[in-house]
Amino acid sequence: MIVVKDIHVTFGRGTPLEKHALRGIGLTIPEGQFVTVIGSNGAGKSTFLGALAGDVLAEQGRIAIDECDVTRWDTPKRAGLVARVFQDPLAGSCATLTIEENMALAAARGRRRGLALALASERRGGFRDRIAALGLGLENRLHDRMGLLSGGQRQAVSLLMATLAGSKILLLDEHTAALDPATADFVLDLTRRIVRENRLTTLMVTHSMRQALDYGDRTLMLHEGRVVLDVAGTTRAGLDVPHLLALFAKQRGGEEISDDSLLIG
Amino acid sequence: MSDIALFGAIEIGLVYALVAVGVFLSFRILDFPDLTVDGSFPLGAAVCAVLLISGVNPWLASLAAGLAGAAAGLVTALLNVRFKILHLLASILTMIALFSVNLRVMGRPNVALLMQDTVLTPFYGLGLPDHVVRPLVVLVIVGVVVLLLARFLSSEFGLAMRATGVNARMARAQGVNTDAHIYSGIALSNGLCGLAGALFAQTNGFADVTTGIGTIVVGLAAVIVGETVLPARALLLTLVGCVAGSILYRLAVQLALTADVIGLQASDLNLVTALLVAVALILPRLKGKSRSARAAR
Ligand SMILES: Nc1ncnc2c1ncn2[C@@H]1O[C@H](COP(=O)(O)OP(=O)(O)O)[C@@H](O)[C@H]1O
Ligand SMILES: [Mg+2]
Repeated sequence: MIVVKDIHVTFGRGTPLEKHALRGIGLTIPEGQFVTVIGSNGAGKSTFLGALAGDVLAEQGRIAIDECDVTRWDTPKRAGLVARVFQDPLAGSCATLTIEENMALAAARGRRRGLALALASERRGGFRDRIAALGLGLENRLHDRMGLLSGGQRQAVSLLMATLAGSKILLLDEHTAALDPATADFVLDLTRRIVRENRLTTLMVTHSMRQALDYGDRTLMLHEGRVVLDVAGTTRAGLDVPHLLALFAKQRGGEEISDDSLLIG
Repeated sequence: MSDIALFGAIEIGLVYALVAVGVFLSFRILDFPDLTVDGSFPLGAAVCAVLLISGVNPWLASLAAGLAGAAAGLVTALLNVRFKILHLLASILTMIALFSVNLRVMGRPNVALLMQDTVLTPFYGLGLPDHVVRPLVVLVIVGVVVLLLARFLSSEFGLAMRATGVNARMARAQGVNTDAHIYSGIALSNGLCGLAGALFAQTNGFADVTTGIGTIVVGLAAVIVGETVLPARALLLTLVGCVAGSILYRLAVQLALTADVIGLQASDLNLVTALLVAVALILPRLKGKSRSARAAR
């Protein structure tokens, strides 16, 4: 469970470029809920996920994960509770390390790392089974460098890595935005499967309103650092992309958005 | 090249192999260009020489030299991690400071080791000529260090250190305390250079504050030569490559110096080494460029 109480984040405080990116976000995400997050560019979606993961510390407000106040924890400390997949397939793994080395890194998330071999043989077997379940044939490429994989393969492995340490929260920041449509669909299906199988509490930022409504149980819309829409259940089931677009337009002061094709997705 | 010159080149190559491995750790594993080694190498030599003169056991003196080097590395890491000084500049600051420290440690610019026992003493007079014994003993020490280091880098802690150098953001997201790994990696790297300094002092019979100049470039040259002759991906082989690179580099230098036709003097060494490293750094870029130019067509 994630409890966020009125958090604020300001970048470049006291400089001419000061940006109040999060302006009081408060919400509770119960265990196992799958939340999709939309909003225009610069709305604060990435900052919000970053604030949950510890990349940016909220200057005001509190964040609790599983009843634990993590407001002042940095990223490595929160990593035991939170797993992530980034938008850029290159960002979420180490290109010059092998697939199994990347997996070993992820499997030790939240544990003390000692002098035991990172790739003990019994562990290797486990990795092989897990990656075989992706159905990509990667089980025969465990010794290949991560950098040799395609973007879609890397995102798939990153998703798998997110489940290796048994943390219960998954943060996805437009993790399919850099992929071609077919690959994006594959990664989204995989996301759904992995979230379900591991009963993960998930936040997924997406540029596509279609995806935001089709996936998950709840949808948030951010605008200028605030939550302007928070729907779930039957209200959400009754919503369609045009409704969201209309809401979107209203938030943006009625300006024309038809040219912003990315948002329609 | 005479026998003595050949073994001498191998010996000095092996001593600097520890520097090469240390430089590999900072430059390649951590992606942290660290010039501290120009100070930590003579620091190791100084600490070892002074301790030997005051009668300390040579192995303990060598260990102390390694620890002194590691401490110097910690200072650089502290300046960079804690106080956000650019890594290159942080290491230059430590290096410059160490010049004074090394003078203080020795009390004068040069200390000779004449009658003192060294780690080599027990192995002299066992039937092999001295100029063969020295590289052999150093080879064993280097071998042990390389094996231990390869094992260390394969551990969970070592893997996290490698990830820190490749993709720090990802490493942090995987719960790796990247700061801690920079501290330990740079300390380890300079510890190895301190140990190399100690071996230098014991094999050559002196410690001198000026021996540190250009250590970093020699180390880099060895790493680059090693990567060229042994383009391996397995960790242990890469480390062996650093050692081989260091020896080959010294042999090449020795050849160049003995071949009168080229007309090089010992004092030209730094110039030649700098040129070699510069060319080695430029070549891959040129190759890459011509390749991408071809691809663009
Ligand atoms: N590290 C940063 N430094 C300064 N400004 C930032 C930084 N990160 C984000 N911002 C600003 O904060 C706002 C929100 O950014 P972001 O959360 O990335 O938006 P989104 O992901 O919704 O597109 C933007 O105006 C962006 O320019
Ligand atoms: Mg974003």
